[in-house]
Amino acid sequence: MEKKMFRQYLTLVIPGLIIFTIGIIVPLTLSVRYSVTSWDGMSVEKPFVGLQNYINLFKDKEFLDAFWFTIKFTIGNTIIQNVLALLFAVALDSGIRAQKIYRTALFVPCLISALIVGFVWLKMFSNVLPEINKIFGTKINFLLFGSSETVLGGLLIANNWQWVGYWMLIYLAGLQSVPADLHEAAKVDGANAVQRFFHVTVPMLAPSITICVVGITTGSLKVYDLLVSSTKGGPGRASTSMIYQTYITAINGRQYGYGSAMTVTLVLMLLLVAMLQVNSLRKKEVQM
Amino acid sequence: MKGKKKQKFEDMQPAKKANPVVQILMTIVALIYLFPLFVIVNYSFKTKKELYLESPLALPKSFNLENYVAAFKKLDMQVTFVNTVVYTAISVFILAILCGVTAWAIARCKRKFFKFCYVYFIVGILIPYQALFLPIYIIGYRLNLTNTRYGIIFMYVATGISFGVFLMTSFMNTVPIELEESARIDGCSVYRTYFSIVLPLLKPAMATLIIMQAFQIWNDYLLASLYVSRNQLKTLTVSISSLFSAQSSDYTTAMAAIVISVLPIAILFMSLQKYFIKGMTVGAVKG
Repeated sequence: MEKKMFRQYLTLVIPGLIIFTIGIIVPLTLSVRYSVTSWDGMSVEKPFVGLQNYINLFKDKEFLDAFWFTIKFTIGNTIIQNVLALLFAVALDSGIRAQKIYRTALFVPCLISALIVGFVWLKMFSNVLPEINKIFGTKINFLLFGSSETVLGGLLIANNWQWVGYWMLIYLAGLQSVPADLHEAAKVDGANAVQRFFHVTVPMLAPSITICVVGITTGSLKVYDLLVSSTKGGPGRASTSMIYQTYITAINGRQYGYGSAMTVTLVLMLLLVAMLQVNSLRKKEVQM
Repeated sequence: MKGKKKQKFEDMQPAKKANPVVQILMTIVALIYLFPLFVIVNYSFKTKKELYLESPLALPKSFNLENYVAAFKKLDMQVTFVNTVVYTAISVFILAILCGVTAWAIARCKRKFFKFCYVYFIVGILIPYQALFLPIYIIGYRLNLTNTRYGIIFMYVATGISFGVFLMTSFMNTVPIELEESARIDGCSVYRTYFSIVLPLLKPAMATLIIMQAFQIWNDYLLASLYVSRNQLKTLTVSISSLFSAQSSDYTTAMAAIVISVLPIAILFMSLQKYFIKGMTVGAVKG
């Protein structure tokens, strides 16, 4: 009986396992294999070069620039998005009227393709927002995509406009499951609003914080679509991300071996960062 | 337990007094968030003359649909729109069935193999498919999956399955196991138990899954641009990018195309929103 059920459960899992293996795991192992060759993507033979590609990566200025841009973009996003999302969630949960309307207004941008978001903000910065200067006679520089100093800021604005509402919804869900009597008890003990936030709300939100931090980080490390339609990696190479650089190297430059080494590096980074984050954040969850 | 929690939440509501300052601040925030959406819609109704002569913030004088007609023609929408609907609908349908049964088997069968499966799938969440675009592209043309409908659908299913399994597994704890046990005593097979007992209880989870996967697939650019180069198979998002890359100043047409491409997903979200919010609440908290 038990064996029969096990076999039936197995038939439910197998199709998904096969599809996932062919679609994700096989490509992953393939890229490890290609990364030690100098394959050009077309020829039959794939000359073995050992770890040469990885050694070259650390001397490749273009790759290192892309690496640092991606890191800066990710750190910026993780901080801004988490803080804003939590702040807005707490504000919406504080019993304001018409909560649903605010929730929808903030959430809708994440339903739009990142490609479109990039284009819309390109037009916002170049055509729409400068009108504010005309109306109020101010001299704010809105051409954020125009110089390499401000392009990161501009992209962070566009990306946060798109995603804050999504993470806010997860925080909001977490907040609504915090039992009210915990707050009451803290109040009786004489804790003020700020103390209650940091000692009651934040610890109770720990699982949501884990999801949001890991989600925002992995989401930012993979940035590509947003850049294609807004900055095209520029000005110069100031906003070229790791995936963008991989695309240029492999698809345009036909260096599939070298591009694969970039892919493997990014994958290792993703796994390392996620493991570090989950480990340190889960510890906090247990403590409470 | 669940009912009790809800009760508490409702009891709590009147105790919370709305702070007018918070209300005003959030109204400003919401308006800032809505502003780019207003800009898109506003542009989409402007004539060329209004675009060049008037402020970008000025409202169009008449309700003119020229840009929508132009967008429809330029993007070949009777082809691209239908393609996108077909890819999204079929992929999401397969994902809904596949992720549901996979997650249920993982949650119910306590053997080690199923624990391993869970971890195996989770790896896919930590490595987004965009990071693997190069080998995914290579395997695509090796297996003759590029430039075919089933090829891109296969890839959307493969890239969406991790998140789906993760989401559905975190949901399974909310399905009372007693119901399933009594069904089994009555002699139901595993399959029947799932489809007639478990699936109807998964509505919020399914709504969450459908929305999340639908907007990812609908909006996907990287995979669609690599996998499909033939015009008859192109998706809406990929063909819209052709309006962006041309250095043309003709962006009123692009804005109309954006409105058309966002509307179906927005409508899907609005119609499933009730379940979706519930789904997020259970799914996110259990994590």
